[in-house]
Amino acid sequence: MEFVSIDTWTIIFTWINLIILMFVMKKLLFKPVMKMLAERENEVGSMYEKAESAQQNAEKLEGEYTQKLSEAKEEAARIMKDATDAANKKGEQIVFEAQQKASASILKAQKEIEREKLNAVSEIKKDIASIAVSVAEKVIEKDINEKDYERLVEEFIESSGEEK
Amino acid sequence: MNAPIPAPQVSGPQIFFTIPILGGIHITETIVNGWLVVAIISLVCFFLGRNLSTRNPSRRQIAVEKLVSMLSNLLQETMGKNNMFFLPYIGALFAYSMLSSLLGLTGLRAPTGDLNTTIGFALIAFFLIQFFNIKNKGFFGWLKGFSEPVFFLTPLNIISEIANPISMAFRHFGNIASGIVITSLIYYALASVSRLLIGWIPVIGSIPILQVGIPAFLSIYFDVFTSFLQAYIISMLTMVYVGGANEAQSE
Repeated sequence: MEFVSIDTWTIIFTWINLIILMFVMKKLLFKPVMKMLAERENEVGSMYEKAESAQQNAEKLEGEYTQKLSEAKEEAARIMKDATDAANKKGEQIVFEAQQKASASILKAQKEIEREKLNAVSEIKKDIASIAVSVAEKVIEKDINEKDYERLVEEFIESSGEEK
Repeated sequence: MNAPIPAPQVSGPQIFFTIPILGGIHITETIVNGWLVVAIISLVCFFLGRNLSTRNPSRRQIAVEKLVSMLSNLLQETMGKNNMFFLPYIGALFAYSMLSSLLGLTGLRAPTGDLNTTIGFALIAFFLIQFFNIKNKGFFGWLKGFSEPVFFLTPLNIISEIANPISMAFRHFGNIASGIVITSLIYYALASVSRLLIGWIPVIGSIPILQVGIPAFLSIYFDVFTSFLQAYIISMLTMVYVGGANEAQSE
């Protein structure tokens, strides 16, 4: 054929070739690649979504834990305070009770002492009386009247009471 | 004395045989080599488009992805999102043009070195442009478009409309065909030079030693570079013209 010539059939065959090639490339190359790229995009998108939701979840949990932790700290502080207060109260009560007991026993002891003292005084009185009687007997012998005798006894008791 | 070097003969595609129907269908080198190109591209696509995975892509897959996304980005930039369905055609056009031209490297006749092939490319673009213009403007709107902006420019508008596909076809054809012509001229010239240099040596002198190697370097420009460039130009022009005829409708 001539170097530059026009042949309708060659043009038509070129078109047929191009159309065949178009479908072949679409089927074998563009469709699978585009599909794969779209799939990858979806995958990446869903991964991002997952990561974001995971992060949100983590942040939420962190917030919750922080709150719980602070609550627990508060609770602990409150319990400590309560316990301290209770212990203090109890201690005070114990001290108070002890003081009461002590004062009661002191009172009791004082009463005892008083009674003992009274006993002792009455005993001494008896003793003194008997001594006085014997003294009086001796004094009577030396002629001492009744009046003198009574006065002497009173004086004696008083002086011995003061002595005590 | 050596026999004279045969002058370079540059002929059109050879006719292998003729199917005697419809006034004789010539099965030329162009058609046969075109089938070869289609077969090669189909095979390559078959191997490239297999076993794609969304994770851990192989090197082959990375290259394929890059190629496809480059082409689709280019298409989106030049034609807009509404014309993405042209992707397979533009891909086919680019691959067919480039591989046809590169076929010249193997010694076979490049199908794009035949004017009919490039006219085929250009006519498709031409028909697409007219189709989309009629579709978008209506038949009378399309006719009216030729008399714009002023009535007396109508002949010029028609000429420029027809000149587009012709210039596309001849540009592509001329680049590849000139490569064929220049290559045969270079072989002729190298044969003459090597005869001058070593022609006096009895046996070795008859071997055109300079023809080894040197044409390879030149063919890097005339075949490889031009093949890529012309495939790019024809795809780009098709995209720009057709995209211009089918622009996104403003809402």
